[in-house]
Amino acid sequence: MMARPQRWDAPFGPEMSEDDVAELMSEHPISKINAHKFPEQTPLTGILRNDTRIINYQPGDLVVRSGDYGNSAFLVLEGRLRVVIAPELPRDLLGRQSVAKKSTLTALAQLWTNRRTPEVRSYRQDEATGVREGRDRATAVVFLQDVPAVLDQHQTAVLSEGALFGELAALGRIPRTASVFAETSARLLEIRWQGLREIRKYDEGFRRAIDERYRENALKVALHKIPEFSGLDETALQEVANSVLFETHGGFDWYISFQKMRGAGKQGAAHEPVIARQGDYPDGVLMVRAGFARVSVKLGNGDRTVSYIGAGDHFAMAELYDSWASGETHTLQASLTALGYVDLLRVPAPILEKYVFPTMGGRPRSPVERATTRTLTDDSLLEWAVNDRFINGTQAMLIDLDRCVRCDDCVRACASTHGGNPRFVRHGRTFDHWMVANACMHCADPVCMIGCPTGAIHRTEQGGMVVINDKTCIGCGTCANSCPYDNIRLVDIRDVSGNVLLDEDSQRPIQKATKCDLCATNPGGPACVRACPHDALRRVNFQGGAVFGGASG
Amino acid sequence: MRSVRSEHLIYWVVLVAIFAVLTIDIRWSADSLGEPLRLTGYLLYGVMFLLAFLNVRKRLSMIPLGRASFWLLLHSLGGVFAIALYWLHAPILWPSGVYEQAIAALVYGVTATGMFGYVIQRVYPARLTQTGLEVIYERIPGEIARIRSDAEAMVIDCTTTTGSDTLARHYFETFDWYFRRPRFAFSYLFGGQRGLQWVHQQWHTVGRYLSAQESAFLDRLTELGYEKTRLDVHYALQSAMKSWLLVHVPLSAALLVMATWHLILVHVYAL
Repeated sequence: MMARPQRWDAPFGPEMSEDDVAELMSEHPISKINAHKFPEQTPLTGILRNDTRIINYQPGDLVVRSGDYGNSAFLVLEGRLRVVIAPELPRDLLGRQSVAKKSTLTALAQLWTNRRTPEVRSYRQDEATGVREGRDRATAVVFLQDVPAVLDQHQTAVLSEGALFGELAALGRIPRTASVFAETSARLLEIRWQGLREIRKYDEGFRRAIDERYRENALKVALHKIPEFSGLDETALQEVANSVLFETHGGFDWYISFQKMRGAGKQGAAHEPVIARQGDYPDGVLMVRAGFARVSVKLGNGDRTVSYIGAGDHFAMAELYDSWASGETHTLQASLTALGYVDLLRVPAPILEKYVFPTMGGRPRSPVERATTRTLTDDSLLEWAVNDRFINGTQAMLIDLDRCVRCDDCVRACASTHGGNPRFVRHGRTFDHWMVANACMHCADPVCMIGCPTGAIHRTEQGGMVVINDKTCIGCGTCANSCPYDNIRLVDIRDVSGNVLLDEDSQRPIQKATKCDLCATNPGGPACVRACPHDALRRVNFQGGAVFGGASG
Repeated sequence: MRSVRSEHLIYWVVLVAIFAVLTIDIRWSADSLGEPLRLTGYLLYGVMFLLAFLNVRKRLSMIPLGRASFWLLLHSLGGVFAIALYWLHAPILWPSGVYEQAIAALVYGVTATGMFGYVIQRVYPARLTQTGLEVIYERIPGEIARIRSDAEAMVIDCTTTTGSDTLARHYFETFDWYFRRPRFAFSYLFGGQRGLQWVHQQWHTVGRYLSAQESAFLDRLTELGYEKTRLDVHYALQSAMKSWLLVHVPLSAALLVMATWHLILVHVYAL
């Protein structure tokens, strides 16, 4: 017997005290929130106690970095911060590496410069400038060493007490759009997304403020990118934007439950949060802002996956169009379920009928119609890839096992370009004669980037590859634990003599997170692909559905 | 078996054309060329070095030297070209001199192992896929040890649960041998399924003497046997795909050395 696990078993900030909560309740803007609107099981004080933590920053400390993925928002309690407007801070100041290709000669020199022992680091650990250790490894921060120079050279805006920032990225699972640093010593309340969602849910003012901010800043741009809305004039687009409703489905930390469910063999639409059910009447079109959703139809005793939709795709447009065109109500032809976390925009049907459908060139195609021309076998690869979430991959390592002679030339090529240790394992989940190997897929929704305390794991400016800055990685393992595909590994690093480097305090090996970087610094692209003598290994983009015969979107 | 890819056919056609032109030219212009043997000899020597570059390419994967698959194609084309050139250069299948015989033996050895490698690399991958199992070669001994441990634990459990040692006796007389190490490699190399048949035979042999309760244990033991069979297939085929190079590469190196010495001798004594 054991107590059923509860949501607040693991508080965000274990050191939060009742006094802290009481103090917060009197701080603006929390004092404006009507605590009586919250249900008994999730009181506002409980949210503050369990879903928030107080962090102190020193002058120059970076709080959020442009391009980072984060799952929390920040409320300024004390002090002054600056948000960098233009130009953006240089990448090295943000603790990121500048990816520069080696010359052919430098690349060739690896033949004799690679050490006999792997994972040797020739730089000194104290060269990893710009990282300030926190009370634990998860709260380490990157700091700016010359704040006056940054203020001179960059246009910034002040964020002072009571300002809330980072909430759109936290709720929408989209990258941070600007960097924020502490100008003076500052005390911030960090609110994790679960708490933010609850506050937004129960407090009308808070919700309106967040939604309005998104509506003002990004919604119209997002709508305009969708072909069906691109023909609208400014007034109509504003009307559509004003009517949009915001929804989230599934868990932000879906990778944890996903791994458990997969281990238990519970996969498929039946085990996912239902967003819309086949046969129901649609009241609006659903558009994905972030995450993925599965489109499935009932078949026999199960559900057949006919498609999946991701950011920028929509659902139920065809049914609503048919209803508008024929004057009869059409029900949903398929169900929509959340693949992990999905953030949606719902445009009500009357708005579509008034502004959107009249400007559309014709009836949009339903994904269900595509399925009628395909057999179950045709779509079995799609079903597998959706179940295993490989649809997240933009550079997945796909191996044709009917061609692969298991020679490991790919592994050796990877090792020779990465200091003697390969950055992937030629093993993974298989379907028919395909294997998706354990190599970083450079995901469209990179959950590994959420929570990196120093921003060491980041996307490159060009190409958008997910890479790790070895110098600012503190080996906390957050990324490796978050990766749902087990594609990040922590390695013990060594000095030039081949000795494992030990932490002075704990005497335990110092570790670094490593993963495939698509040979970003090597000339000629991924060495694994070039090294395969049988063309068995490819890097494929599961986005867009080309691999599945146009199944996505 | 994986066939030659259609986009590669053009290369094979070009190769045949080049060889045809070369042969005709040498036969018809022997007088004007003076020493056609020198031309074919140097050409053959050059082609052999080109073939050896595939191995160099594998070690230089950090620099952009083109795709290894293209190099392998060149290697295959070059190999066929080389044996044809060899027959043009020494127009008899088996020469009379001892040194020449040694070179001929190496030429045929390299060619035969190369063709063997070419064929198995097109046949075996799909057969490995058909096992429904994917395992890294180095992990196979560990996996076999795991299966053996599971099997032994189950047999002990059977004896403890049922109070009968019939299955245990049979296990130590038969299955124990099977689970100790990879078996029936030759059968798998030639496409046989000896392991499956053997496991089924053991199931059939002892099954008639077991109670219903013991039969359930036997069924699970047989499942482990089938799992071991799949591992054995991987072990046999992956071993073959790795070890043929251990013959092909040393023979090729020896051939290059012998050919170089042959060239030196020819220059010193014959020219």
